[in-house]
Parts: sequence; structure tokens; C-alpha cells
Amino acid sequence: MREAATRQQRARLAGVLALLLLSVLSGCASLVPQTMGLREAWPAGVPERTELARVPFFAQQDYQCGPAALAMTMVDSGVQVTPDLLTGQVYLPSRQGSLQVEMLAAARRYNRISYQLAPRLDDLLREVSAGNPVIVLQDTGAGPVVNWHYAVVIGYDYPAGELYLRSGDNSRLAIPFTVFEYTWRKSGYWAMLTMPPDRIPATATEKGYQSAVSAMERVGEPWAAKNAYTALLERWPGNVVASIGLANQYYAQGELPLAESVLRKAAHKHPDSVPVLNNLAHTLSDLGRNDEALPLIEQALRPSDDPFAAAARETQALILQRMSRNQ
Amino acid sequence: MTRTFKNMLCHLIAVAIFIAPFQTSQAGMIGTQQAASITTSADADRSVVINFLQRSQTVSEFQSLGLDAEAATSRVAAMSDGEVSALAGKINAVPAGGDGLVVLILVVFIIWYFAFRR
Repeated sequence: MREAATRQQRARLAGVLALLLLSVLSGCASLVPQTMGLREAWPAGVPERTELARVPFFAQQDYQCGPAALAMTMVDSGVQVTPDLLTGQVYLPSRQGSLQVEMLAAARRYNRISYQLAPRLDDLLREVSAGNPVIVLQDTGAGPVVNWHYAVVIGYDYPAGELYLRSGDNSRLAIPFTVFEYTWRKSGYWAMLTMPPDRIPATATEKGYQSAVSAMERVGEPWAAKNAYTALLERWPGNVVASIGLANQYYAQGELPLAESVLRKAAHKHPDSVPVLNNLAHTLSDLGRNDEALPLIEQALRPSDDPFAAAARETQALILQRMSRNQ
Repeated sequence: MTRTFKNMLCHLIAVAIFIAPFQTSQAGMIGTQQAASITTSADADRSVVINFLQRSQTVSEFQSLGLDAEAATSRVAAMSDGEVSALAGKINAVPAGGDGLVVLILVVFIIWYFAFRR
């Protein structure tokens, strides 16, 4: 009688324990949804293991994992730079760290294209396997302690369940996929690349890459912008901003016939683009071909509410002035 | 009052000098940045003004965090318009990655480490 009661109690206890374990495990699983996702489907065309051993390592000084991480990917992309040089461009002493936006901005000053990845583990793996080391922002703190940290993902071995990072003082930190995702998730899966201007990231989208290039153009050198816009146009020939960007670079360097040829192609694809028509008309006028320029600028002025109508009217006035002077 | 005003004016001028070359291309040619960002004519002027103010605000914030004027200006100049507007007023709230110490000490991680790694 008594024995039976004890057995019943034990069984109940075991049931509670099993339930507890199950809920802890399923709770854990929900902490790393993307790692769980990989169990269902490994991304197509991505190898199961890879490592970019060529990526250099800089051990970080004090709180300067930002400059160190940035230097690693930038040297790998062909820039001669050191963490010390970058410290003055990304480190904020009073915050004892580096902001994400400054990590993106600093690389542009060295003619690199900073590309922020979509917040997906699949994309991170795809970039690493395509040969691009990825800077990630992790929160390596536990519980209430927040500890933001930049590291560089240089490889992974899925069958072994590990990612390889250059992190802090560790030139090759092996970290389980689960732990990595837990720390990475808190930054909203923030990840970036520093690409040479003629190489497009494996996971780049047209819009994302176009904004990345045009952000670099603000502070980069003309040759870099030219190479980047050329690469962008090769991949996405219909991109109107890339056409305008490339043509503006040619124009600024006095290579007007090249600017014309780029804009002609763009005008053929986008006959309603006012900036394209305006810039083409302006270029032709500078080449002394006002007769060809005039109908183009008139075409540009047809939609009167266009944001660039004012610029087009200026160009029209310029063309008419030049024509009357030549008569 | 006068000092605050002078400071603000200095920032505005500093930013103006730096961003002026990027705002307009050759006279008559429409710049790439403009072509990429402007979608309606109402946007055109407003976005230029708003961005100008946000840039100067961000430069001041960087200076209040201990950067000198030149560094602050060139650091803000390397940001895109969208990045500046996302950052303006939030410099102390956004994450700053710094520490390299990996403090993954929770017991659950140890269990996890041995239980499943991928």
C-alpha cells in the first residue's frame, strides 16, 4: 500500500522532471532559431566547411576590437592599414567602443564598399564560403551584463558544429553554432563586409549594393567609384543610378564621349528618367552638339512636376544660350 | 547664449565646408547622390535641409564625446544620409562594441556545449 504510493510519487516526479527538461531544451532551441533552421535545410550551394586561413590577425588593444576587426577584413581586401590608424576613425573613448555606423563609414574612406548583410545565418555562411571574411557584432555578456564585441568570422565546420572567429586576443576561436547565434542574435544579427570596389558580395541585392556604392562615392576616390559603378552595371544593367554615377565620374574627369555612351544606353532603357536625359543633354551640349541636346532636354521637361524639373530648365536655358551665341 | 550660438555657427560652417562639394555636381549635371535619394519634388529641398541639420547635430555630439572638430566632421562625412538620420540624437543609446573579454559563463552554456552544438 505504502510502496505503491511511493512509486506513484516517483513516477510523478519523473514526469515533472522530463517536462522541465523538455521545456528547457525547447526554450533553448527557440533562442537559436537560425541554427535550428540549418537542421531542416542547409543553404543550397554552400559547402559544409571552409576556412579563410589567409585573413590576417590583429590582437585587440584594450577596448579596441572595432579597429582590430576592421583592419583584419580591410587588409584582406587589399588595403594597407593597421588597427592604430583606424582607431582615430572608429573608436569613441567615452563609450569605450566603436559604433556600428562608424565601422561602415570608416572603410569607405579607404575606397572599400561597406556592405551590411541581411540578418541571416545562411547569408553569413554564404559570404564566408565565397571568400569574404565577415565582421559581426556580438553581445558576449550573460544575463543582465551587456558586452558588445566585434569579431571576424573566417570559417566554419558544420559537421563539427563550429564557427571560427578572429576575436579579441584569440586568432582562431572555435565556437559552437548555438553559442555563436545566441551572442549574435542580440545585435539583430548585425554583420558587414568591406569589399574592394570591383567585387560584389555573394549575397548582395541590387538596391542594397547600390546604396553601399553611393555611400562610398561620398568619400572614396574617383577611380573606386568608377570601378564600383562599372561592376554594378555589369551585374544589373538596368540600374539607373549606376549609369548616372558612372557617367558623372567620366564627366568629372573630362571623358565626355564615355559619359555620353553610358547615358545613351541608360536613356534607351529609361526614356522617362529626367536625370538621365538632363545629364545626357548637358554632356552633348558641352561636346558642342546643342542640336542633339535640345530635343532631349525638351523630352526631359515634359513631366512638369518632376523633382529634377528645375535642373532640367537650367540645362535648357544653357543650351538655348549657347545656340544663340553660335548663330 | 552668445557662446552657444557661436558654437552652433562654427559647427554649421564646419559641416557646410565639408559636405558642400558632395551636394552639387558640376553646374547643370544632376549629382548621383541626388538622383539616388530624391523621389518627390517636395522631398528635394526638405531632405537637404534636414540632413544638413542632422549632420551638424551629430558632429556636435561627437565633439561632446571628446573628439576634436576635424575628426568629428570627417567621421560624420563618411556616413550616408540615412545613417546620419538613424544616428542623430542616439549616439549614447546605440551599441558600442569594445570589450574582447568573452564572459560566456552561464551553466546552461556548458550543458548546451555538450548537449548540442549545431
